[in-house]
Amino acid sequence: MSGHGSDLHDAPVAPQHPTLEELTERKARTRQRVAANNETITVSMGPQHPSMHGVYQAVVDLDGEIIVRTRPGIGNLHRGVEKLAENLTYHQVIPLTDRLDYVSSFAMNHGYCEAVEKLMGVEVPVRARYIRTIAHELIRLSNHILWLGVHIMDFGAQTFFLICFRDREYILDLFEMACGARLTHSYARIGGVSKDLPDGWVGKCRAVADFLPKRLAEYERLITVNRIFLKRARNVGIFTAEDCNQWRITGPALRAAGVARDLRKDEPYAAYDEVDFEVAVEYDADVYARFLVRIKEMYESCKIIRQCLDNLPDGPFLAADAAHVLPLKKNVMRDSAAMVQDFVHVFRGPQVPKGEVYRSIEVPKGEMGVYIVSDGGPKPQRLRLSTPSFYHGQAIPAMFEGEMLSDSVGIFGSVDIVLGDCDR
Amino acid sequence: METRQESVEIPEASKVVFAKLEEEFGGKLLGSSFFRGELTFTVSVDDYVAVATFCRDSPDLAFERLDCLLGNHYPERLEAPFEVVLHLTSVSRNSRLRLKVSLAEGQKIPTVSGLWRSADWDERETWEMYGIVFQGHPNLIRLLLTDDFEGYPLRKDFPVKGTVGGRIRTDLKGKI
Repeated sequence: MSGHGSDLHDAPVAPQHPTLEELTERKARTRQRVAANNETITVSMGPQHPSMHGVYQAVVDLDGEIIVRTRPGIGNLHRGVEKLAENLTYHQVIPLTDRLDYVSSFAMNHGYCEAVEKLMGVEVPVRARYIRTIAHELIRLSNHILWLGVHIMDFGAQTFFLICFRDREYILDLFEMACGARLTHSYARIGGVSKDLPDGWVGKCRAVADFLPKRLAEYERLITVNRIFLKRARNVGIFTAEDCNQWRITGPALRAAGVARDLRKDEPYAAYDEVDFEVAVEYDADVYARFLVRIKEMYESCKIIRQCLDNLPDGPFLAADAAHVLPLKKNVMRDSAAMVQDFVHVFRGPQVPKGEVYRSIEVPKGEMGVYIVSDGGPKPQRLRLSTPSFYHGQAIPAMFEGEMLSDSVGIFGSVDIVLGDCDR
Repeated sequence: METRQESVEIPEASKVVFAKLEEEFGGKLLGSSFFRGELTFTVSVDDYVAVATFCRDSPDLAFERLDCLLGNHYPERLEAPFEVVLHLTSVSRNSRLRLKVSLAEGQKIPTVSGLWRSADWDERETWEMYGIVFQGHPNLIRLLLTDDFEGYPLRKDFPVKGTVGGRIRTDLKGKI
């Protein structure tokens, strides 16, 4: 099944949910009624509520079944990553970034390393750039598959969740082969990746990239034309492009509002300027459009992976830049220069120029910006991780307003939040 | 006004932003720099909102999104140890700009949460982490830390280890 979505928009479904104009009108009416009666029911959803993905608390005030206002509560997972990073060398920060968005760890490593490389001016070898692109797209697939399972479970489909977990396993196995870890990868290094791809990996990865589109078509047969899903997802949680910019909504939710913004195209990094892919855009800006965007992105990810595997160049997977990059572990005990390099990097840290950079990359959930201020020392003076979930969580009250309580679960799922990413 | 420059290639869009802001504000801008192709402007607290509003509303700049707002602490700068940094992004023009404001201890700064709604949580976080007060913010309450937390954890003089604030109540030991 190649066509995904566009013709399905005309599926015969009776319009149940309000359009944007009707929603705006309903919001105004609700506000008026609440102001007149001052009678609302308060319901606390979370932080340990099955509908909330992670420890996000939403205290909602209801007028009947319509949400009037939402008071969000976050911070339950706050670990002070930014404070910790100020006391660690640039290399030591990488494992901390794993724990930000723990369902797409590699993307977080990658974003951080891109920023540090920009600050240091490190040239990443071409093979490493390709490996990073493949790994990033694999993690995008894994993230979207997990999201899909959980999102559909929000609408009441239990079996589909297990189907998604089964398929995610193939990707986790690939990561386990490549870097030894299934979830917290720490695979990216400053100047490349930690290990080269093992023997047989390319073949296995190609098999997964060939096989997943078939599975995606299966998902589509189950979900894209599912009457229950269509009724619950279309015209729900409309968030227009202007709203998205106001609230810094990025990634699939922004593209579902008709903005073809994708940093893989707009500010290319890794090997994205050398592969051919399309930016998935939808125009309805509702829960269903966000679903379609992610499904399209998964097809495109498989396409990117196949292209990278076809053109995977030989060569080093880590830059030979003694001032900024850790040496290969196997050389440390054999080569005196590598030993000195290792000693300097572990005990003092890399040599970093004075300055500040902001680098933003397209992670599965949106745009992650990393701001680093360097005072010339081996540790960052300030590291700010401007993660997508933080801003998406902030916009939840605006998305909920005027919607039905029963739809709030689907809307929350459709923006894809991970609280480790949100609280940092 | 001094401009620090570097040999790295400057994006065309940043040059436009530079020229436009120079033309509009000229002497009011305290400094600018290019580092790794990124444009930074330093502005004073008084001009801060005017510059931010111009950046958002001018059709030639069109910074419709605030990527992030954060604070920073430089204890070695005795006069103005605090800094608020804004990263603006234009989706339509694909350009970026960094605005910086230096602040003295206890000096207040006006909020920009009216210009970009996403500044709301950023300003709350900056307030609780550095103690920088954003004037006119609609809801300046704790965001990430517990309600009884003492001190401003991202200031450089705040220790990494210890049991300051938080939920660990040592004074109740043996009494419950």
